[in-house]
This record gives sequence, C-alpha cells and structure tokens, in this order.
Amino acid sequence: MTFVHQEVWHWQIATYLFLGGLGGATFAISAVLHLFEGCDRKMLSIAVMSSIAFLVIGTVFLLADMLQPLKAIYALTNPRSWIFWGVVFINFYFIAAIAYVIPLLEEWPMLQPIIQKIPQPILGLLERFNKLVALGGSAAGFLVAIYTGLLISAAPAINFWNTPALPLLFVISGFSTGAAFLLLLSMLSSNPGAHAISAKLEQLDAILIVTELIILGAYFNFAMFLPTGARASAEFLFHSPVFIVGFFVAGLLVPLAIETWGIFFSGHSEGKKSTMPILLASALVLVGGYLLRIYVLKAGMFQYPW
Amino acid sequence: MARYGMVMDMRTCVGCQACMAACSTENQTPFWSEKFRTHVEDKETGTFPDVRRVQLPRLCMHCENTPCLSACPTGATSMNKDGIVLVNNDRCIGCYACCIACPYDARYAYEHEDVEKERELYGKLVTHEVPHMDKCTFCVQRLAEKLEPACVATCPTHTRIFGDLDDRKSEVHKLAASGKAQALNQGLGTAPKVFYIPS
Ligand code: SF4
Ligand code: SF4
Repeated sequence: MTFVHQEVWHWQIATYLFLGGLGGATFAISAVLHLFEGCDRKMLSIAVMSSIAFLVIGTVFLLADMLQPLKAIYALTNPRSWIFWGVVFINFYFIAAIAYVIPLLEEWPMLQPIIQKIPQPILGLLERFNKLVALGGSAAGFLVAIYTGLLISAAPAINFWNTPALPLLFVISGFSTGAAFLLLLSMLSSNPGAHAISAKLEQLDAILIVTELIILGAYFNFAMFLPTGARASAEFLFHSPVFIVGFFVAGLLVPLAIETWGIFFSGHSEGKKSTMPILLASALVLVGGYLLRIYVLKAGMFQYPW
Repeated sequence: MARYGMVMDMRTCVGCQACMAACSTENQTPFWSEKFRTHVEDKETGTFPDVRRVQLPRLCMHCENTPCLSACPTGATSMNKDGIVLVNNDRCIGCYACCIACPYDARYAYEHEDVEKERELYGKLVTHEVPHMDKCTFCVQRLAEKLEPACVATCPTHTRIFGDLDDRKSEVHKLAASGKAQALNQGLGTAPKVFYIPS
C-alpha cells in the first residue's frame, strides 16, 4: 500500500471551507441570540452582513479554483453530489440572511435611502416575519457549516476524511469560530447590553472548544488505531509544528484558558471590562479554525492499491 | 448492451509503455504535461535479496459503483449503456470533486494551458476544446467502429484483454470469472470492471 497526499484541493478550498463554516455559524448563532436573548439590532446587523461577506468571499475562492467557473450553474444537476447540496444550502442561506438583515439595517441612518427604495409592503412583511426568518436562517447556517465537512468526507480512498467524525469536527469548529467572531463584535460594541451577550458567547465558545477537544481526541484515537491512510494522515499532523502549536495550542488551548478565566474571574455580566485577552482569544480561535482546514486538507492521503 | 471491462495479465507486462503512447496519440492527452489516461507503474516488491520489479498498468476502472459519478455535481460524469464512465467536456466545471472521489487516481485536469498547447500541436483537429477533467473512455470512439481500445490493440504482449464481461464466450469474461483475476482495493466497494492477474 502506498499513501499519497491528495494534490487537488489546496488553501483556496481550505479558505472556502473556513469561511463557509464561519459564515454559516455566525448567522446561525446570531439568529439564535436574537430569538432567545433579544436583539441588539446594530450588532446583529453587522454580524449578519459580515457573515454574508464571508460566504461571498468563500464562494469567490471556490469559483477561482475551478477550471470553468462561468458554468457553475450546472452544479445544480446531480443531487447525489454534496456540491449540489452545498449550492442549495448556500442559496437558502443567502436568501434567509438577506431577508433577515434588511429590517435590521434600518438602524443605520446612512442606509435609509436604500432601504426606503424597497416597497413598503415587502418591508412590512420582512419586519413581521423577522423572527421566523431567523429560525430558518439558523437552520441554513447550520447546514452550510456542516456541509463543508460533508463535502470532503465523500472521498472513499482518503480514510482520514471518509468518516462521520470529520463533518462533526468541522461543524463544531465552525460554530466555535462563529462564536469567537460574535464575541469579538460584542466586545467592541458600545451597547449597554453587550456585556451580557459577551458573557453568553464566551461560555458558548468555551463549551464548543471543549466539545471540539473531545471530538479531536476520539477522531485521532480512531485514526491512529487503523492500519490505513488515516494513521498516516494523523502522524503527518502530529509532526506538523504549525498544526500542533498554531492550531492545537494557540487556536484551542490558549483561548480556552483565557475564556475560562474570563468566565470565572472577569465578570462581564457586572459590566467590568477585560477586553484585550478576550479579543486575543477570539482572534486565536479564528486563526486556529483556518489552520485546521488547511491542515486537514494537506493531511488528506489516498491509499493507493499499488 | 455490453458491460465492457478489461483484464490485465501482469505476468506478461514488460513495461514498454506502448499503451501510454498509443492512448495519448489516439486521445490527444497532454503528454507534454506528463498527463496520461493510462500509466504503467514500475514497482519494486519484496525485501532484499528477494526483490522483483513489477509492472502494473492502470487506468480508469469504470467502476460499477462509481464514486466519481456520485461526487460530480454537474452531471458531466455519467455512465453509458455499456457501463463506460464518461465525462462531458462541455458540462464539466472543473471542480475536482471527482478527482478527490476517485480511489484509483484515474483522472487529471485538462487545463487551459493544455488546451492551448493541443491547439498548437493539432491545429483544427483538436478534440479537447475547453478545460475539463479527463480520463480513460475505453476509446468509445473506436468501439463505435468495432475496434478495440488503442492500448489493447497496441500492447505487444497481450497483457490487456478487453471485451464484454457479460459475454460468456469472451476471453475477458472467462479470465475475470476464473478466480485468478482480482480487482484493486475491493474493500472500497467500488466494484471495478478492470481486473488483474498477479505476476
Ligand atoms: S476509476 Fe475513478 S474515474 Fe474511473 S470510474 Fe472509478 S472512480 Fe470513476
Ligand atoms: S470536475 Fe467536472 S467531471 Fe469532475 S466532478 Fe467536477 S464537474 Fe464533474
């Protein structure tokens, strides 16, 4: 048996997978925050606009990596393909995100002229069904985030990818990056209620990082005990300093430590500020999430029969 | 309706690579970028002093259970009525999903540069007008004229035996059913239609 690194999907696709997970999760968490925690319309509008931008940029990277991007519409032909479902989910996501964010944009005086161009009955409907759209949007965001893992798990000869652990890892990591991004926004927000939201997000991110650690443990344990390409991939990752130090230590353990400290000692809910460490933790989670995608793609090894 | 397949008799392959040459001229594959629809792997096996060189010709296995077809979002990859897996160049967007899904490294990208180079070499006779994913087709164009695939017709040692796996009288059926021939990576469940008789 020979193990050979896959040579077709590189950092461009990793960027797409990262931004897909981040964008999907940011919208999903924002919508849930809106439904259960009330709505800081300014912050949520920035969050959802950014999440749309993440997905637009991600899609540009995906298209740029194709040989014939102008024919991309054909990708809606074969429902057996995960890419087909990716296109469906992303479009569903865009529709939901745009429908959701339009009423929130009324917060911004400079956008008023554009918003006012939208016919009143439509605006009224969007306003009325805002919460319902948020509900649909959180589902769309989740589907986009999990699809990024499903896409690459559909390779039978790349054992390291071809496991349900991978979509699970990607969706949890995606949600962790989404929570970190929202935490970043909430820390920068001047809204009086923002501290309570920060505290919630910090807890959420810490829980997600712990979950991610558990999944990683199970995933690597499984990979290391199989006499297949999965073990070769896991060993490759163990020997990659950037993966270990950049993703595992700086992208998971350090932010987890900072956030745990924040949860127990900094007291956001009482309005005390400890902005710098939390901003650092969020930034590290985001960089770590990107490194994870890059390295999982790099570690994809075919198991050739010759 | 046939169910075309191939048996590789590895006992006779001498590694002359005539099949690679025949295929790349017949199908205008980009030999200039070292991309081929069929390869002859040159392998060493065993441990010293008991070592041997083995030649292993390989190509698209025209899997019955086709991961590349499932992965292709555009329907560019399809299976024809004779069980041959084909790519529709005009429909392919070049997303590489099929390359990732194929366990046999059977596909490569016919890139923009390759299309240009082909135009330079073959002038009006180009067969690959747009970039796309490319792979073995069992020379469908030759089959339509009742000819064997170019690699089979060229092989000087009768290593490649081609035909209808469902035709009980055919040599390929007899060899494939003999128990001597094995498919590669059977555990993946792709059900290849190319079989190997070990040397
Ligand atoms: S060998 Fe690869 S390209 Fe050929 S049919 Fe099987 S999966 Fe598809
Ligand atoms: S590269 Fe072409 S043939 Fe392959 S999956 Fe994409 S669209 Fe289909």
